[in-house]
Amino acid sequence: MKRVLTTCPYCGVGCNLYLVVGDDGRLVGVEPSVGHPVSRGQLCIKGWNAFHFVNHPDRLTHPLIRRGGRLVPASWDEALALVAGRMREIQDKHGPDSVAVFSSAKTTNEENYLAMKLTRAVFKTNNVDHCARLCHASTVAGLAATFGSGAMTNSIACVEQADLFFVIGSNTTEQHPIIGARIIQVCQNGGKLMVADNRKIRLARLADLHLRHRNGTDVALLNAMMHVIISEGLTDEEFIASRTERYEDLERLVAHYPPARAARITGLTPEEIADAARLFASADHAMIIYAMGITQHTHGVDNVRSCANLAMLTGNIGRPGTGVNPLRGQNNVQGACDMGALPDVYSGYQRVTDDAARAKFQRAWGVRGLPRDVGITSTAAIDAAAAGDLKALYVIGENPTLSHPDIRHVRTALQNLEFLAVQDIFQTTTADLADVVLPACSFAEKDGTFTSTERRVQRVRRAVSPIGESRPDWHIICEIASRAGYSGMQYDSPDAVMEEIAALTPSYGGISYSRLDGPGLQWPCPAADHQGTPVLHVGKFARGQGVFRPADYRPPAELPDDDYPFVLTTGRNYFHFHTGTMTRRSRLLHREERFPYVEISPEDARSLGIRDQQWIHVGTRRGEVRVQARVTDTAMKGVLFMPFHYVEAAANLLTINALDPEAEIPEFKVCAARVRSTP
Amino acid sequence: MKSLTLQQVQDFLRSLTSDYDVQAPIALPDGTRVLGRLDEGPLAIPGGRVDSKPTSPFFPQLDRIFAYRRGSIAMQQPVEKPLLVVGLTAEDADALTFIDEFFAAEYRDDVYFNKRDRSAVIVVSGRCGKDGGFLKIAGGDCDLEFVCDGERYVLVPYTEAGKRLAHRAPEGDEVSSIADLQAESDALPDDDRQVLERASRLLQEDRVPEEFWAEIADRCIACTACNLLCPTCTCFEVFDWTRGEQIERYRLWDSCQLAGFMREASGHNPMGEEHVRTRRRIHHKLAADRTRWGRISCSLCGRCDDVCPSGIGIKAVTREIVRRFGIEKENGPET
Ligand code: SF4
Ligand code: SF4
Ligand code: SF4
Repeated sequence: MKRVLTTCPYCGVGCNLYLVVGDDGRLVGVEPSVGHPVSRGQLCIKGWNAFHFVNHPDRLTHPLIRRGGRLVPASWDEALALVAGRMREIQDKHGPDSVAVFSSAKTTNEENYLAMKLTRAVFKTNNVDHCARLCHASTVAGLAATFGSGAMTNSIACVEQADLFFVIGSNTTEQHPIIGARIIQVCQNGGKLMVADNRKIRLARLADLHLRHRNGTDVALLNAMMHVIISEGLTDEEFIASRTERYEDLERLVAHYPPARAARITGLTPEEIADAARLFASADHAMIIYAMGITQHTHGVDNVRSCANLAMLTGNIGRPGTGVNPLRGQNNVQGACDMGALPDVYSGYQRVTDDAARAKFQRAWGVRGLPRDVGITSTAAIDAAAAGDLKALYVIGENPTLSHPDIRHVRTALQNLEFLAVQDIFQTTTADLADVVLPACSFAEKDGTFTSTERRVQRVRRAVSPIGESRPDWHIICEIASRAGYSGMQYDSPDAVMEEIAALTPSYGGISYSRLDGPGLQWPCPAADHQGTPVLHVGKFARGQGVFRPADYRPPAELPDDDYPFVLTTGRNYFHFHTGTMTRRSRLLHREERFPYVEISPEDARSLGIRDQQWIHVGTRRGEVRVQARVTDTAMKGVLFMPFHYVEAAANLLTINALDPEAEIPEFKVCAARVRSTP
Repeated sequence: MKSLTLQQVQDFLRSLTSDYDVQAPIALPDGTRVLGRLDEGPLAIPGGRVDSKPTSPFFPQLDRIFAYRRGSIAMQQPVEKPLLVVGLTAEDADALTFIDEFFAAEYRDDVYFNKRDRSAVIVVSGRCGKDGGFLKIAGGDCDLEFVCDGERYVLVPYTEAGKRLAHRAPEGDEVSSIADLQAESDALPDDDRQVLERASRLLQEDRVPEEFWAEIADRCIACTACNLLCPTCTCFEVFDWTRGEQIERYRLWDSCQLAGFMREASGHNPMGEEHVRTRRRIHHKLAADRTRWGRISCSLCGRCDDVCPSGIGIKAVTREIVRRFGIEKENGPET
């Protein structure tokens, strides 16, 4: 028996836990880390079950190659040679930008760094992206523009220093449960809670004020709150004067959003909006907490900017217990962004269009001709594949056939590729379409680091040996690089990769494995003697002055009409994670939520004659699925909610492929739907 | 009675590894204390209750019951080396006696007794608690007790196995009595116990309304930790994995805080509502078990209060119950 300290592979909270290894070398349980500053001996149910899927019989145990239309076992040599060979061949024929790589927010920092290095240094294209495109691309764009850094401004420990929480578009107790529970505890002891979300989520039940605004009307709500704050003289004038610029732009724009106007857009009353504004402005320490409800819109970046505006207007930033706090979904989505698994930046958000940055990476990597043009996003890559412009795709640990919008379109696009390689731990529906499947190790079988939502870089440690012939992702990526003829990606261990990352990435400059034995370090950590940065923008914003970038309300791309009278919004439930490949193979998690379902309000259910647990059809212009009705007052009249975990009734068969013009994030949160109760 | 220095205790435990699978409090790198083997990390005898479930050596989170292959079943066998579990607190040992009885009742649970039979348990108590606190003396419920007088550990055996173990210990100073330590133990405040007893009576008298449970349930995030770490929680889920030609049957810690725990195949669920589940967690320990087993099945080990992210462990909830519903005590019926 032994216990190995590691980081939870599920959400961005970044709890630490011990994997308990039995005498037969298999995982037999989990123990929370008591000394860790975030976990403090506590985990949510996903953490408690994080060991379970590792040894599941469905794990991929050897490489597969498509022969005669079927995926058949092959040797690593064959599979790797095929990936490198086909990617090269296709590039020779169609140019460097005919290939793309999807990296993964589930894999480590080192692996994301290597995936972007492979794409750029070896394949000479900037076509690399990952699932942040689907979750927080709007945050990265929106906050970088206003504050100069696109990450959670404060720390999880700040929850205990706040006296008001404004939770907008985050079902915190289900998606970031340990943070959600800490909010509950603070509110038990007098903290104030304001929830803006038309689902009556757990936090809404406990809130001092619950705003059930219409989906996609956040900008109108936030602008009207700022209108009230300004007109009632509740702003932090000193902060605005000393720390920000272009306040006049905001003043001018929100003048057009009196509560009465916003009330018509949001469905709230003017009084509710004014109350919210006053409550928010009354707090000394107000924390804005948001997630996908803000970002996954065709106006996701505008939503993010509006949150940032509200914080600056009231001086709620740059101090403990305040801030604009996007909660990052995946365990390592922060790190995957930091590592430059994005089409426009190298690690540390150094722009590929910047000559100096390009020169620096060319020198370090010993290559010439790093591409100057920004690559395509993962959403654009799907469209490009459908259009025949993208020919080959190497997917590492992502499952776009379930996670991207309008998956019928995704499937057609992937089938249209000349070559698709998929690297994963289970045979996903994306892997079903692949020409080569590479079996990867899970988090329990490899070393590396994850960066949590609070920018905490922490260790992942190998607890068990690889299952079957599976290999760690970093190893596979490097093998492909060598086989593609590049000798600059040979490392003994992830440790050595982190050394390279630190040398090239200013915010990670002081990070090395020898410093990560404890609870990790929060970036920016620029030097070996720097202790990390729990709160950003203290005294000064990363970009100097914070800039107000007001946004006008724009409606979602597809609103209900006579044929499709409901709003369909999608997300996750507490027990499952994303496409469910791990959680649906974990006994207790799967048992809790076995079936695909749709939440529908009691009023709507009554008028349609639908009973709780009845199987019904939910359809949109993209398709239709059969799901169980969950009649619940969590749902607001006129709004349906569906989790996207279920392959047998994929919510993303229904969602719309409409993107934010800047962040290219899809509008998972709003499309028009109808319900059919007949078989 | 022998009394040993900490160093002697450590050497003694090490000397027992030839005959026993010794599991004792180990300090993990971040300070977490768990029951582990001596080679897993530095032995951490002082410090009070371990953070892990103290009954986990006998009832681990995941346990393989059998493997079936081509018509033959390989059942889990009794462990080769008997277990020696060191470092339970008096409360943990009390909980262990409860689950011993539970697993032996009606149907004897082989998977548990494969590990529990032939095992020995050593409680650690006295002046070696967390932050210098005093740990209650068990005075039984185990084979042997190490009672710390602040410097040395006095070996107090209760069973034949305990005597044999004590006999194997090195010769240390002889101590004739632990009366002063016992007095110190007896003088420990028992407020938590009193609150628990009063809450138990209020529950049995049905004086805690549904609204109270709804309020508490609103705060529960269903992490399941209160059950998983509780030494008297024994529920498990059974499942099979098919691996090639082999079918493996496992059991896995379960939790009554989950909707799926009692859901019937029809979809009907007697515990479908959150407040019913929250009520059950407390009610079962304080009222139902009292009726069925004649005792409260919470030994006040303190784990659920530490591990609950929402602050609704049993001590917190019972305090709240007594505060809100036990007020008539002065002039009304005795609670
Ligand atoms: S809160 Fe997130 S990181 Fe913590 S245990 Fe749950 S899933 Fe894991
Ligand atoms: S204190 Fe909590 S964990 Fe300990 S025995 Fe009582 S109910 Fe179980
Ligand atoms: S530990 Fe607390 S939050 Fe977790 S299931 Fe138990 S009562 Fe609920």
